Amino acid sequence: MTGVVLVVTFGGISIASAQSTAEWDNDTCLGCHTAPGPSMELPSGEILDLTIDEDRWGDSIHAYWDMKCVLCHTEITAIPHDPTGYQSSRDFATQKSESCTICHGEQAVVDDSVHAAARDAGNDDAAVCSDCHDPHYATDPPIDHAEIPKTCRTCHAEIYDQYEMSVHGSALTEGNPDVPTCTDCHGVHDVEGPANGSFHLFSPQVCADCHADEELMAEYGIKTDVFETYVADFHGRTITLFQEITPDQETNAPVCISCHGVHNILPADDPHSAVAKDNLLVTCQQCHPEAQADFPAAWMSHYSASVDEYPIVYFVNWFYRILIPVVIGGMAIYVFLDIVGRRRRRKEARHV
Amino acid sequence: MSEAAEPRYRRFTLSDRFEHWIQVFAFTGLAITGLIQLGSDKWMPQAVITVFGGINTTRVIHRSLGIVVLIATAYHLGTAGYRFLVTRTGKHMIPGLGDARAAWHAVAYNLGIRDEPPYEGRFTFAEKMEYWSIIWGTMLMAATGLMMWNPVATTSILPGEFIPAAKAAHGGEAILAVLAIIVWHAYFVHLRHFNRSMLTGDIGEEEMEEEHAAELDAIMAGEADDSVPADVVRRRMRWLVPIYAAIVIVGTVFVVLFLTYQEITIKTVPPPAAQVEIYAPYVPAAGPPVVGVAPASATP
Repeated sequence: MTGVVLVVTFGGISIASAQSTAEWDNDTCLGCHTAPGPSMELPSGEILDLTIDEDRWGDSIHAYWDMKCVLCHTEITAIPHDPTGYQSSRDFATQKSESCTICHGEQAVVDDSVHAAARDAGNDDAAVCSDCHDPHYATDPPIDHAEIPKTCRTCHAEIYDQYEMSVHGSALTEGNPDVPTCTDCHGVHDVEGPANGSFHLFSPQVCADCHADEELMAEYGIKTDVFETYVADFHGRTITLFQEITPDQETNAPVCISCHGVHNILPADDPHSAVAKDNLLVTCQQCHPEAQADFPAAWMSHYSASVDEYPIVYFVNWFYRILIPVVIGGMAIYVFLDIVGRRRRRKEARHV
Repeated sequence: MSEAAEPRYRRFTLSDRFEHWIQVFAFTGLAITGLIQLGSDKWMPQAVITVFGGINTTRVIHRSLGIVVLIATAYHLGTAGYRFLVTRTGKHMIPGLGDARAAWHAVAYNLGIRDEPPYEGRFTFAEKMEYWSIIWGTMLMAATGLMMWNPVATTSILPGEFIPAAKAAHGGEAILAVLAIIVWHAYFVHLRHFNRSMLTGDIGEEEMEEEHAAELDAIMAGEADDSVPADVVRRRMRWLVPIYAAIVIVGTVFVVLFLTYQEITIKTVPPPAAQVEIYAPYVPAAGPPVVGVAPASATP
């Protein structure tokens, strides 16, 4: 790898001559770093374990492509090594993530991710590459579908706890490949958070991706008109119109997750669900604080009106379906006869 | 005016015409801003909503026009009350068997079964039909519109299902009303012959003969004088004014309270249910030692 000619300045230590280190074989490094023991005390007082599991490294995607340790560890120029200048393990991880951009520029530099934004705002806890992808042991695919939530758990343990109990999380634990994990809804390197207005506005489509998919839902006996019935009602219609007309504006209309819950989402027939009959009023009161017991029934619960469900609505619909043609048809006939009669009389008057 | 000028027959006072044009303005505005909401899953209504500045603005305009209708209705309650209870000329607008007969006669005349056109008075069958349709339609639209405007208040009085039912009725009645105006009103007032009485307040002899022959005959016979002695008017007004004032005040207070007494909804984006700490590092109870690079906070 002759690409390693960049000059990196870390903590005031300048390392230039990559020429010599580029010839270093990984065996040189692993010669010391596979043995248990080597560690380094950082100025923060943390002890950084410097041991590499040789077998797992051997199985990794980076070993498969024969990546050299010094490709990333550019600060290593001599044996024994010079002091690195890293202040803490976090400082180390953050600065080392710069190395990822050498090969993975597209994934590593995503400006619209919440993590990048948080880091730019000075939050050191915000995830960098190595927080999710272990640089030494990452395989291909980089993270297994079922492992994704555990990866996010590293920083979002409380959310993970909710997810694990949810209808999606518990199914994932049981090996179900259909359920969404974190990245299915939030994206991967362009991770979006709920604070983003457009995430709220467009989130129903995220749910609809699976829940309006008849083939996918058939297996679970879940009805797929949930999205249509939502869009047909006041809330969903408002959201759709904001999507279509003013996507840059915020709206107070609720989306799927506003009622069903987010990470803690449960089947609607679960008594603990936010949309279970007994919990519905409290859920409505999030936005309609003065709502009373009869208020939730104003929402048709994803039903289309029928004789059994919402019969008054059903009969009102039918009433107008009959009344409109009868009244307007009657009027039209009356008017038509008048036109014909007048024309006939005018003709007769001319002949007289 | 020269003596040869055709006599004119008064149909509407300035107040009537003012009421009419306010209704035209509000009805048209309501129909546009309402029907685009009814069909807002289609591109064309969406384009019109965009012109209005988005769905929130469209709803504000629609509801504002609804208030205009309520005010116009309160005003009409006064003028109608005066006519029905004080001058008693309102009797001309009351439908009866004669109107059913007139409707049948019109049909029979048009079919050539009858030789004579219907013999109608001050208000024809077609006019009464439209007037009472507007009364009925306004009551229904106002009631269902207010129910939807504040569903929180509505459901504290009525069952929840009344809200989607009100929505269904409001939409159905809207289509019925708009179509009726297009078919019935447009034909009888504009197409049959262009009736200018809502501009000028009166019509000519020819129109009177054709549409209000009975009234014309009564006028000619000197039997059409509906005027009431001034002292009778004064006596009846003593009853009407306080009753009318009470109805308007109670109605206004009800509508204002109904729309404002309870908070309908929060104005901000709703919070997601059951929020937890976003950043909460995972601490394994016991596990293998951390190898390689670990997040700072997970390192002892």
